[in-house]
Amino acid sequence: MDIGKITFLLNDEPVTIYADPAESLLHLLRDQLGCMSPKEGCGRGECGACTVILDGKAVNSCLVPAGKAAGKNIRTIEGISDGKSVHPLQRAFVEKGAVQCGFCTSGMIMSAYALLAENPAPRQEEVKRAISGNLCRCSGYKQIEEAIMTAAEEMNENRVRFVEKEQKE
Amino acid sequence: MQPETPAVRELISTEKNYQSAEVWTKVTGKAIYGIDLRLPGMLYGKILRSSHPHARIKKIKTSAALKMPGVRTVLTGSDLSCSPYGIVINDEMPLEPEHVRYVGDEVAAVAAVDDKKAEEALKLIHVEYETLPAVFDTGEAQLPEAPQLHENFPGNVAWRREVVRGDPESAFRNADLVVEGKFHIPQFHPAYLEPVACVAVSEPDGGITLHTAVQSPDIVRDLLAQVLKLPLSRVRIVGPVMGGGFGGKVYGNLNLYLISALLSMQTGLPVKMQLTREEEFTAGRPMVAAEIKMRMALGNDGTFLGREMDLITDNGAYSAQAPWVSNTLAERNDSVYRIPAIKTKARLVYTNKVPTGQYRAYGNQVANFACESLIDMAAKKLKIDPLEMRLRNCVRPGETTVHGLQIKSCGLAECLAAATEEIGWTKRKKGHGYGLSAAIHASGSVVFDPNLRGASARISLELDGNISLFTGEQDYGQGTHAAFSQIAAIALDLEPSRISVYSKDSLVTPYSMGALGMRQATIGGKAVQLAAEKLREKIIRTSSEMIGEPVIMENGRIRSASGRQVDFTEIAHYYHGQTSGLTLTGEGSYVPPESSYDDTKYGNIAVTYSFAAHAAEVEIDPETGALTVHRIVAAHDSGRIINHLSASGQIYGGVAQGFGMSCLEGYLFNEGRVANPTLADYKIPTALDVPDITPLFIETDDPEGPYGAKGLGEIVQVPVPGALANAVADAAGGWVTEMPITAEKIFRILSNRGAAK
Ligand code: FES
Ligand code: FES
Repeated sequence: MDIGKITFLLNDEPVTIYADPAESLLHLLRDQLGCMSPKEGCGRGECGACTVILDGKAVNSCLVPAGKAAGKNIRTIEGISDGKSVHPLQRAFVEKGAVQCGFCTSGMIMSAYALLAENPAPRQEEVKRAISGNLCRCSGYKQIEEAIMTAAEEMNENRVRFVEKEQKE
Repeated sequence: MQPETPAVRELISTEKNYQSAEVWTKVTGKAIYGIDLRLPGMLYGKILRSSHPHARIKKIKTSAALKMPGVRTVLTGSDLSCSPYGIVINDEMPLEPEHVRYVGDEVAAVAAVDDKKAEEALKLIHVEYETLPAVFDTGEAQLPEAPQLHENFPGNVAWRREVVRGDPESAFRNADLVVEGKFHIPQFHPAYLEPVACVAVSEPDGGITLHTAVQSPDIVRDLLAQVLKLPLSRVRIVGPVMGGGFGGKVYGNLNLYLISALLSMQTGLPVKMQLTREEEFTAGRPMVAAEIKMRMALGNDGTFLGREMDLITDNGAYSAQAPWVSNTLAERNDSVYRIPAIKTKARLVYTNKVPTGQYRAYGNQVANFACESLIDMAAKKLKIDPLEMRLRNCVRPGETTVHGLQIKSCGLAECLAAATEEIGWTKRKKGHGYGLSAAIHASGSVVFDPNLRGASARISLELDGNISLFTGEQDYGQGTHAAFSQIAAIALDLEPSRISVYSKDSLVTPYSMGALGMRQATIGGKAVQLAAEKLREKIIRTSSEMIGEPVIMENGRIRSASGRQVDFTEIAHYYHGQTSGLTLTGEGSYVPPESSYDDTKYGNIAVTYSFAAHAAEVEIDPETGALTVHRIVAAHDSGRIINHLSASGQIYGGVAQGFGMSCLEGYLFNEGRVANPTLADYKIPTALDVPDITPLFIETDDPEGPYGAKGLGEIVQVPVPGALANAVADAAGGWVTEMPITAEKIFRILSNRGAAK
């Protein structure tokens, strides 16, 4: 195996590591960078527990070779809130009971995050489709879908409030 | 009846959606699961597994693997000094020394500095096998010429049971109608999203600390001590967060635990091991497969007169909990209705396939598939509405069932009425099929260990005025701990968020049977209630001693008649000072009422019983047989619901699993080898698959459970297979008797019917 230098942004911060570019991004994140929120449920692209966002797209990090991450911006659940307040998705997942064992949760929220960035007011069918690659064995998905819809509404209200405020100023 | 205090009322109205603090660690990515554990100096262990379904090990050469840089040790079965062990039958070894019995059987193990090296080292181990004839079919396995998997089990029968209650012979002789059917049920995997993982640490005193998330840590601790021949006090189980269990992690994966402990004892270093998803499917413990032959005798008016069952369950190569599961599968469904006569013959048979265990409802859910299908077959013949037929026969409060279960609170008839009303039983959509099914499940099973029928809990007032609750009951997302906080909060008159629950370290938590038999809410919760009430008494006593007058306690505050107030912090400090450092602690132990349970297993096996009725609405494509499940209404009597958000979550999730096993899942084999060991080929439901699910709660008030509550976690899955089978039959005109119900099988029914026309 050839160890190469790989540089990318992880949650907006530059990181440089030395790794086999064929190694999976999931292992790189977990074993080299100590970023443990992406989980390994299958290691072959079948469960979605390892979902992260790569340049705006939700991907299964277990299928992404580390080399492909070079120069990209990678976002994990550690990077969706500013550390002070929680992201509306996180709050909605708690309030709607969308979390049971929680093993799928990081990946699920990242898929939802990517969806809402592209489609701020999804219909329930679109939510279902967006998370259909994320398996959850505990919840039956119902409360997860509710949480995503609720978060979308809250984010849209915030946006309206923000625009109104800007207009006033 | 339970006292309806203001606190109880408030609990039910305002705190019904309380979530414990742990959930925040899960939405921020901070929760630490078994697969996340890393300890300094840790090694990685891997297992070499048999590639033959049945063989003798003639020779194992490990020298090349041992020489590989980075490899610290290699273990084989002949290095072990332990004897065969098991949960019910002692038929298993952590590593088989000379005889492998399925593709996946543990043959050797390696510990190396990283997992890639461990994996590579496995390839350097050379095993010479002498292959033996294998048997994969339970029928063939019982023939005299079949290969024997284990000594002392002639005919490969691992366990058998025959039960007769009442007079089945005359029931069938006098019946107006006899219906019968043959049902086939494959192995199902719980498919929790996190594969089993652990880190074993050999301690300086010779003991072992095992870090793993498991539903019954204390039982695992007992078994580890027994197999490794260690004093019990030197074995400690510490639990990270668990990524799902559903009964499949009651004992986690015992061979994995034992091997990692042995590797750690050998090297003196922590050893981490985890199963791959493929190993989960091929060497985990899916639920037993079953062949059910069943007959039912009825009167013309639809009264049930008797039932006969001939059950063969497929054990696979080793037994795990399969005997218990087979037993529940054989008889729990008999208690849903008044059936005066029963005859059951059950056998659990060894085959050269993956060993089996349990999943969520101990087989009750797959027995439901057979029993409830048969009821609708009879209803159709007698031209009686299936709802009417069930209402006529269903068990009622105060009755004792055919196996001796004593029914206290029971809202089954109400569940049947509510589920059918909600689905539109009498306002059917044209072309849609409707099906109904009912269930009972033991809530707080007391028969796992006659010496430990109940549970205990300890609850302490900390110096900062907050409360710590210690319990052996495990929460892996069902919401048990939030419910415990709520229960303790009622007794102590304060907010649940002030109560932290600790359950994950066998060194400090009370011994418990753990998360099985729907015992946590009922038995565990009751112990919490009793412990909290004890602490409340002690707080009141200590406060009045402190201020020298009688006091009362309300809203987390204590005051005397003269108006003096003390808070929890002051009392904690006062007691701390008086005793030089002790904390005020309440210990509660709940010992269920004595129940007789005779040699024929007749008797009251649980503290109480939960009930459910599900109604399903489906549509079938007449051209292809493709099935659309529109809706499942799940009406449940789980007593008083302590937390509505978690309870609904249990129903959504459990019904989705029931739908998965009914319509999508199931093991496939090729010469004993699992043919679909991936999540791509063993399909569990995605968000696009799960039908619309409506939970309904019939809140009876149970006299035993804490504040009237009963268990819910397992029964949620039970009525689904029967409801779906009957809905499909309503639409297709005939029953699919093999799970899962696929388009292909429905199509066969449609074409047979077409041919018959
Ligand atoms: S671990 Fe990447 S999809 Fe399952
Ligand atoms: S919450 Fe357990 S898998 Fe989704």
